[in-house]
Amino acid sequence: MKFSVFQLSRLGGRAINQDRMGYSYTRNAGFFLVADGLGGHPQGEVAAQMALQVMTGLFQSAAKIGIEDVYTFLESAIKIADRKIHRYSIEKGMPDSPRTTLVAALIQEGGISWIHCGDSRLYLVRDGELLAKTRDHSYIEQKQGDSTDEKLSEGVNRNLLYTCLGSPIPPVFEITGPVGLKEGDKILLCSDGLWGALSDVEIVYDLANKTAANAVRDLVDKALTKAGNASDNVTALALEWETPDQFETTRIPDDGLFTSTVNAHGYEQLSDDLNEEEIERSIAEINDAIRRSSIKKK
Amino acid sequence: MSKVKPAPLAPNTIIGGYKIIRKVAAGGFGVVYQALDSEGLQVAIKEYLPASLATREPGELMPRVLPEKLSLYRLGLKSFFEEGRSLAQISHPSVVSVLNFFRENETVYMVMNYLEGASLQDFIITAKDLKNQKVFRESTILSLFDEILRGLRIVHQHKMLHLDIKPANIFVTDDNRAVLIDFGAAREVLSKEGNFIRPMYTPGFAAPEMYRRDTAMGPWTDIYAIGACIYSCMQGYPPNEAPQRKEKDRFSTALARLRGTYSDNLIEVVEWCMALDPLSRPQSVFALQKEMNREGERRYTKLSVGEKVRMQFDSMLSDSKKSGKGAAGVAGRDR
Repeated sequence: MKFSVFQLSRLGGRAINQDRMGYSYTRNAGFFLVADGLGGHPQGEVAAQMALQVMTGLFQSAAKIGIEDVYTFLESAIKIADRKIHRYSIEKGMPDSPRTTLVAALIQEGGISWIHCGDSRLYLVRDGELLAKTRDHSYIEQKQGDSTDEKLSEGVNRNLLYTCLGSPIPPVFEITGPVGLKEGDKILLCSDGLWGALSDVEIVYDLANKTAANAVRDLVDKALTKAGNASDNVTALALEWETPDQFETTRIPDDGLFTSTVNAHGYEQLSDDLNEEEIERSIAEINDAIRRSSIKKK
Repeated sequence: MSKVKPAPLAPNTIIGGYKIIRKVAAGGFGVVYQALDSEGLQVAIKEYLPASLATREPGELMPRVLPEKLSLYRLGLKSFFEEGRSLAQISHPSVVSVLNFFRENETVYMVMNYLEGASLQDFIITAKDLKNQKVFRESTILSLFDEILRGLRIVHQHKMLHLDIKPANIFVTDDNRAVLIDFGAAREVLSKEGNFIRPMYTPGFAAPEMYRRDTAMGPWTDIYAIGACIYSCMQGYPPNEAPQRKEKDRFSTALARLRGTYSDNLIEVVEWCMALDPLSRPQSVFALQKEMNREGERRYTKLSVGEKVRMQFDSMLSDSKKSGKGAAGVAGRDR
């Protein structure tokens, strides 16, 4: 598996950046994610961060053995992430839960599959053409359907989503793939700060004609400039498949090791998972209780 | 996703110093075995092995947890511990007791008393086959549930709900004790993950609030099931499912059919326990015990001739409609 990857996230005219991005890979599989914490609800950045960490953690444990059923993996990963966000808000006693969008791509055996929920997007560009793009789970996208008529979008807030992670309603998500990758294919994962400011033509052009790193740098710059002071945070992660040798390629770690920009640990305690120590402690407690109640009996 | 159930441990396998004799039962949570301890005494061992999350090849010891299910597997494990922890504190002849809890083969095992006898469900089916007018005598029902309620009261005192009381989970031992088995605490928590593991409840015995997420469950939820068990002992088959009852409740008619055969007192108890509104039921086991143990004469209302005729007519109709849906319905579990 050979690819180059580059990611960048920059603060727009907002107080904080609630976008999160990251990737993790082994010799055999790679996992790439962008999450955009929702404003209007508390701690969107926590939801985005949790979605990344929880899903990356699941990827890492699954990839060690090999992910047989990509669909099931992606589906359970997003559901578990959603549940952990809820668990977090319950444990913190928050009146409203933090929410986030999510787009994640899994590459293995030369194929890419992706899942998305909300309006963070994935673009797949091949031979200068847009091969695939996610459809946002927003009211505007729903209203427009397949039409490209800009007029239809008037009066509909593009930021209104009908699904996300962390909402009281279970997340709606779509899984696409696997799509077999060809040398030179470019994949972009981005938040709405990027695609909201630029046209698909601009995005595809840069992806098709520049290295992944340069495309990301230029696209993020352009989006921030174009949107000006009112710009949303802009986050992009791009990768190029089977890059020719003149590009700096990723160093693929030895089997069993992960190169990861996401710390897959940190939310274990919060949730339902038990670690080894807790398992041992639970067993000891139960046996202690058994002993005590049998003494009582005698 | 594999639909194949994980293979049980083979007879003569030694785990944690216990020797497996045979598989007794298997459910969503795992497998129950009959086994012998180091002194040759019989025990029952419950192995945590959720069929939807783990697989095991025949002859193997270690289950293989699907990696993407690991988080849920551990969540279920936590519930399995909760069950063990609650049962460990309870020491009552009418509640199955836990003897040991250990970890092996990357899963956990709960060792319990091995009970010899048959489930109340088996008894109901047998009794029904005899085609007596009464499935059970009233005195039998009263003494059986007196024991069960004593046990259940202790369970509730430990802030635990059984949530799956049904004739199959009431065990009648060969030395004539009634014992509450299969504490499905694990089930309850797992069922919250509706998408992964279907909520498990037994139609007919599950109170209406178990079908919803917005109504509090409490002792009254187990009490509904107790009422449904008593009803089954009287009728020989379980009552209609709660959601069905909400639409069209023929429960009173069904109960009326038992008048004369059973005392009005007992029929009223069942009606009280099985009120659709949780607040209209006995709110605690104690309240129910008080009513059931009340001294005094049992009242019987004879059926009028007209009622008898109507009933016979009804049962002819319903028999022809429901042929093929017999006692097996007692075991029916919605999956």
